[in-house]
Amino acid sequence: MNQLKGNNPGRRTILVCCGTGCLANGSAAVYEALCDALKGNDKFEVETLAKATGCNGLCEKGPLVKILPDDITYCKVKAEDVPEIVEKTLQQGELVQRLLFRDPATKKYYKSHHETNFYKKQHKLALRNIGEIDPSSVQDYLDRDGYQALEKAVKRMSPAEVIEEVLKSGLRGRGGGGFPTGLKWKACAAVDNPPRYVICNGDEGDPGAFMDRSILEGDPHTVIEGMIICAYAISASKGFIYVRDEYDLAVKNLTKAIENARERGYLGKNILDSELSFDIELVRGGGAFVCGEETALINSIQGNVGEPWDKYVYPAEKGLWGQPTVINNVETWANIPVIINDGAAKFASIGTEGSKGTKVFSLVGKVVNTGLVEVPMGTTLREIIFDIGGGIQKGRQFKAVQTGGPSGGCIPESLLDLPVDFDTLTQAGSMMGSGGMIVMDDRTCMVEVARYYVNFLAEESCGKCVPCREGISFLLETLTRICEGKGKLEDLDLLESMSCTIQQAALCALGRTAPNPVLSTLKYFRDEYLEHINNHRCPAGICKELTEFYVDEKLCTGCGRCRRNCPADAITGEKKKAHTIDPEKCIKCGECIDNCKFQAVKVK
Amino acid sequence: MKVTIDGKKIEAKLGETILEAAVRAGVEIPNLCYIEAFGGQGVCRMCMVEVKDGEQKRLVASCTYPITGEIEVQTNTPELQEIRRNIITLLYRRAPNSDFMKKLYQEYVCPAVEVVDPAEKCIMCRLCVKACEKVGAFAISTIMRGTEKRVATPFDEASPSCIGCGACAEICPTGAITVKEENGKQEIWHKSFEMSRCEICGNYYSTLPVKEHVKEQLDNEVSGENLCPSCRRKKLAGDLAKFSIK
Ligand SMILES: Cc1cc2nc3c(=O)[nH]c(=O)nc-3n(C[C@H](O)[C@H](O)[C@H](O)COP(=O)(O)O)c2cc1C
Ligand code: SF4
Ligand code: SF4
Ligand code: SF4
Ligand code: FES
Repeated sequence: MNQLKGNNPGRRTILVCCGTGCLANGSAAVYEALCDALKGNDKFEVETLAKATGCNGLCEKGPLVKILPDDITYCKVKAEDVPEIVEKTLQQGELVQRLLFRDPATKKYYKSHHETNFYKKQHKLALRNIGEIDPSSVQDYLDRDGYQALEKAVKRMSPAEVIEEVLKSGLRGRGGGGFPTGLKWKACAAVDNPPRYVICNGDEGDPGAFMDRSILEGDPHTVIEGMIICAYAISASKGFIYVRDEYDLAVKNLTKAIENARERGYLGKNILDSELSFDIELVRGGGAFVCGEETALINSIQGNVGEPWDKYVYPAEKGLWGQPTVINNVETWANIPVIINDGAAKFASIGTEGSKGTKVFSLVGKVVNTGLVEVPMGTTLREIIFDIGGGIQKGRQFKAVQTGGPSGGCIPESLLDLPVDFDTLTQAGSMMGSGGMIVMDDRTCMVEVARYYVNFLAEESCGKCVPCREGISFLLETLTRICEGKGKLEDLDLLESMSCTIQQAALCALGRTAPNPVLSTLKYFRDEYLEHINNHRCPAGICKELTEFYVDEKLCTGCGRCRRNCPADAITGEKKKAHTIDPEKCIKCGECIDNCKFQAVKVK
Repeated sequence: MKVTIDGKKIEAKLGETILEAAVRAGVEIPNLCYIEAFGGQGVCRMCMVEVKDGEQKRLVASCTYPITGEIEVQTNTPELQEIRRNIITLLYRRAPNSDFMKKLYQEYVCPAVEVVDPAEKCIMCRLCVKACEKVGAFAISTIMRGTEKRVATPFDEASPSCIGCGACAEICPTGAITVKEENGKQEIWHKSFEMSRCEICGNYYSTLPVKEHVKEQLDNEVSGENLCPSCRRKKLAGDLAKFSIK
C-alpha cells in the first residue's frame, strides 16, 4: 500500500537537521549515509535530494529527518535506520512507524511534526526557513523569497518609506529591551553625521537560550538581508555581526553566506545598481554575558574592555566609534524581510496591542517537550507550557516559570493565563528578555532559585558600578544565609531596600534587572522565605540544611524503589511493607522523593 | 541654557554634565568617583539625581548625564537619600578597614551588615587607574569581572610601565594603596624603586624613573642636578637674589 500522497511527486527532498543539537546526536552520519544511499539514483522513480538544514527546534527528538513533499518526519534517526527509510519510504512509499513522532502524553504517532501540538500552535516568522533550507545554499534562500524584500526596498521604496514601514509594523527589539525598531532607525537616520553603522547582536549569553544561534546557523541570509535593508534605510556604510565565540557553526555558515551575498551583488558597491554600498564584517565575541549589552558590545568591537557606559545618549546617535549606530538583535533582523515583503499591516495583525508579531522562546526545564517555539505575542503561558510544551514531566505539579534569562522573574501558577508580551511580563515582575522560559515543578525551592540566578549575575556583572557589583554580592550573601537556615526576618526588608537601589541606580540593564529573581520570588513565594527563616524548613526539600525526608506509612506500598535508588543506603524496609528513612544516614539528595511513584516520601 | 538645580536657576553649557554645572553654581552633589580633570566615570552612583525633562522624571548619574535641554534637577529627595545610604552601606561592607568608609557609614546612619573582608580598604572608585592614565604610565587597571573585580598591575607582578610616582596612592580616598619608603627605596605595586637623593639636604625625594619621566615630558628643560623641590626653590631664590638691588 502506498501511504504517501501523489503517486509521483517527481522530486523528493530529504532534509536532515544539522543544527547543533542534532549534530551532537550524530546527524552528520545520517546525512552521509543518506547521500551514499541516494547515489545510485536510478533505483528510484523519483528524483531525490538530501539536504542538511538548520535546527528544527525539537533537538530532544533529534536527529530529525524530513521528507518532502510528503511531509514525513522521522525522529531519533540513526545511520543504521537509513537503509530502511530508503527501502520502505522512498521505494515502497510506506512509513517507518517506529521512527515517527510519538506524543508522550497520548502515545499517538504522527506522520509529520506539523501535526503535533508542539507545532500546531506555533507561528513561524523569524524561524520561517529554519529546518526547511540548506543554510549554505543561497539558492535555497532565494527559492523561499530570499532577497525579494531587499529588491523591493531598494527598487521601489525610498529610505524614509522603509523606516515608515518598520515603524508601522510595530516591531519591537527582540534582544530584551523591546525598543521600537522603527524609532531606533529613524533616530539614527536623523543624525547628520556619517558614517553610520549597523550591528547585529548575536552575543546570546543567556544560559540555555539558543534562538539566535538557530537563526544564525539555520538561516544566515535572513539576518544579512535585514541588515542590508536597514543600511539602505539609514545610509549606513558598514555592518558588523557580533557572534558569540562558541558558535562555530554559526560563524561558518555566516562566513559562507556573506561571501555568497557578495558574489550575487547583495553586498559590496552599488548594491542592485543603487547608490547603496555596504559590507558586513564578522566579529567573534569575548564570551561574557554582559558583552550582549549594546554599549559593552560596542566597547568590545572597538577593542576595549567589555563594560557598558551610561546611555543618556543612545548609540543611534553616538555608537560605534562615536558614530550613529543601529544595533539590533538577531531575531529582530530576521523579521525585517518578512515585514517588507508582506507589509507592515499583515505583521501588525499578529500579536497584541503593544507587542506585534511573534516571539521565539526556548522552552526548557521540567516540561515534556523542550525546544524552540515561535508563537504570536499574546499567547498565554498556559498554552505555551501545557499545549505546546505538553505539561510537566513525570506528571508533577507546575510551580513557576522563569522568563527573561538570568535577571528575569518567576511567575506563579495564578498568572498562567497571562497573555505573554513585553508589557505583561514586565508588569508581572519579570521580563521578556531574549525569550528564555524555564519551567519549574514542585520540587523547586524558590529561595534557592533566586540564589542560583543571583549567583550567576554576581559572576557575570561587569563589576563597574557599585549598586550592581556590591549590591548583588549582598543579595547573594543574604540569600545563601537564608538557604542555610541562618536568615532573619529583617533580612527581607533589607533585601527589598537594596533591590530597589540596584534597580534605580545601577548603570546598565544587567544591574537594573538583577533584583528581579529576588523581588518576584519575594512577591509570589514569600511564605517559602518565611518557612526558611521562622521554621528552619525548606518546603520543597532542596536546601539540605533545612530538609528532613520521611516516608508516609499510609501511602507507602513497599515497592522498594526509594531504597534501590538511595545512594547512601539510608532507607530500609521489607517488600510490600512501609519503608523508613534513617535521618542520620540521609544525605538529602532527594532521589527517594523524585523516584517514589506514590508520593509517599514527604518533607518534614 | 537655563537649568534649575534644587530650585536655583543656573546657566548651563550645552553638553556639560549636571555635576559640572552644579559645581560651578556651588550646589554640592555627593560623589566618590569624580575628579573634574578625569571627567565623569559613572562608577560609584552616589551622584544620582532626579531629572525632570518635560513631564518625564527619572534618576540619572549627574556626573555622566549631559545637559541638552531645559531640565529641572533635584539632588536630595528621600528616594535619593535611601539610594545613597544603601551605597554607603554596600561600600562599607566591602571596605570596612578604611577610616574613610567607617566615618561615612556612621554619618549616613546605615543598617548593620556583615562585612566581606575585614582587611579591605579599596572601594573601587578607579580614581587611581585614572590618575595613572593621566600620568601616562598605564601601569594599573581593573581586572576580572563581577564581584571579583579589582585594581591590579598585569598578572599582579611589577609593571614595567610603573614609574613609582605615587599618583595613585596620592589620589586614593581610602588609603588602599601602600607605599613603603625605606633606606632610599620606595616600594609600590610589587615594585621597588631607587630614590633620588638631594645633593644639598640629603633627603630622598623622588624615584629615578619619575625624574626621567619629568625630564622627557618637559623636553629636557630641567637641569640635571639632584635637588629636592624645597632645596631647588631655595637655590633658585638665591640665584635670583644676586640680581636684586642691594
Ligand atoms: C546584560 C545584558 C545582556 C544582553 N544580551 C543581549 C544578547 O545576548 N543579545 C541581544 O540581542 N541583546 C542583548 N541585550 C540587549 C541589548 O543591550 C540591546 O538592547 C539589543 O541588542 C538591541 O536590539 P533589539 O532592539 O533588536 O533588541 C542585553 C542587554 C543586557 C543588559
Ligand atoms: S550594572 Fe552591572 S553590568 Fe552594568 S555597568 Fe554596572 S556593574 Fe557593570
Ligand atoms: S605609582 Fe605606578 S601605578 Fe601608581 S600612578 Fe604612578 S605609575 Fe601608575
Ligand atoms: S585603590 Fe583607592 S583610588 Fe584605587 S579604586 Fe581603590 S579606593 Fe579607589
Ligand atoms: S560621581 Fe557619578 S557615579 Fe561616581
